[in-house]
Amino acid sequence: MAQRNITIIMGGGAVTNAPHILSSQGVGSCVVVTIYDRRRKMGGMAHIMLPGSNSVNGRGFPYHHADTAIVTLLGKLRSMGAAPRNMVAKMAGGAHMFTCSDDSEPGIGKQNVSSIRQILQREQIPLSGEEVGGSYGRNVDFYLDSGKVIVTTAGKKEDVEL
Amino acid sequence: MSNNTQLFTEEQMDFIREMMNIGAGNAATALQQLLQCPVDVIIPRVHILPVAQVTSILDNPIEPVACVRMGMVGDIGGAMFFIVPEESSEKLVKIAEKAQMGTRILPGQKHGEEDFSAIVEIGNILSGVYLAAVHDFCGLNINHTVPVLAVDMIQPLLDEALIKTSIQMHTSVLVENEFMIGGPPVEPVILIEHDIVLEKQSIKTFMLMIPSAESIKPLIDALGQAKKAYGAA
Repeated sequence: MAQRNITIIMGGGAVTNAPHILSSQGVGSCVVVTIYDRRRKMGGMAHIMLPGSNSVNGRGFPYHHADTAIVTLLGKLRSMGAAPRNMVAKMAGGAHMFTCSDDSEPGIGKQNVSSIRQILQREQIPLSGEEVGGSYGRNVDFYLDSGKVIVTTAGKKEDVEL
Repeated sequence: MSNNTQLFTEEQMDFIREMMNIGAGNAATALQQLLQCPVDVIIPRVHILPVAQVTSILDNPIEPVACVRMGMVGDIGGAMFFIVPEESSEKLVKIAEKAQMGTRILPGQKHGEEDFSAIVEIGNILSGVYLAAVHDFCGLNINHTVPVLAVDMIQPLLDEALIKTSIQMHTSVLVENEFMIGGPPVEPVILIEHDIVLEKQSIKTFMLMIPSAESIKPLIDALGQAKKAYGAA
């Protein structure tokens, strides 16, 4: 099967299988979560914008909030035949892009990261890699044949493999 | 999803464009004073579009941009951004150096990063100019908060603003400006001790205004009042 590169936009998500690639570009305070079934070589990616879940405003936008995004990915993967015991999660993003001295409240990026951590724990999906925080944007590529997640920046940092 | 063409009527969009054209003309004058060399403005392109589509206006969304973020407060709330693509920002910094605008390390500037303090200053002044144009045109009083600089890809710089301005309603006004900077000094009688920029250079900048969801109605009301005042403009 020919390899395809599927782009996930902000607030979007998708599941697929090997040998395809799922990509998100320009991740700032958003967090990209990938979930991978190592045995069946299938996985999903969500480009999450907000922490927690909002059942009222979130209707019709399952990938906007951390809670509904992860639950939706897990549901789709299960229906494709993936088993939760084989799944691992990775995440990248959660930056604080504009840093200034009078920042009082914790940024949305930080809130996203801690919310996703809690939800993965609740769903009992181990977090096997992360590249979060800082004040730079990221591009994330998720290779379904190996499960590798490559994080690149606009010259801010060397590429990171998760 | 809401559509921008539904949010504003064609006439209201024309008013916004007209307002921004006036802003661009005044911006050239302000730059001329700041950089002490002639500045011509190419007729700006004004886009009224969802924030998510802003990145598509830039030639290469992966290329880093210098971006100055400010909050809008007053009659209209929200965020505004002064965006200068990499190539133009390097040229602009050099021109500013020649005009001796001064260089200093700003809060928020990362160590070792190129000195973009001139860009912050220019963004600060031009934002004020555009907001003044809005005030003159439709009487809305808007101030901007302290500017903060970041240099990165455009989308991560905007995603927080996009999240905060609410998910479904995220209309923005993007002014695409091209300034031709350079040429003989504006006021030849004054002795200018520093080098002047003799060759005209094209500098591309963007001014992006993202009104908060609650500010759309006051904006539309003010445009209506302005229309009455100006008659059939």
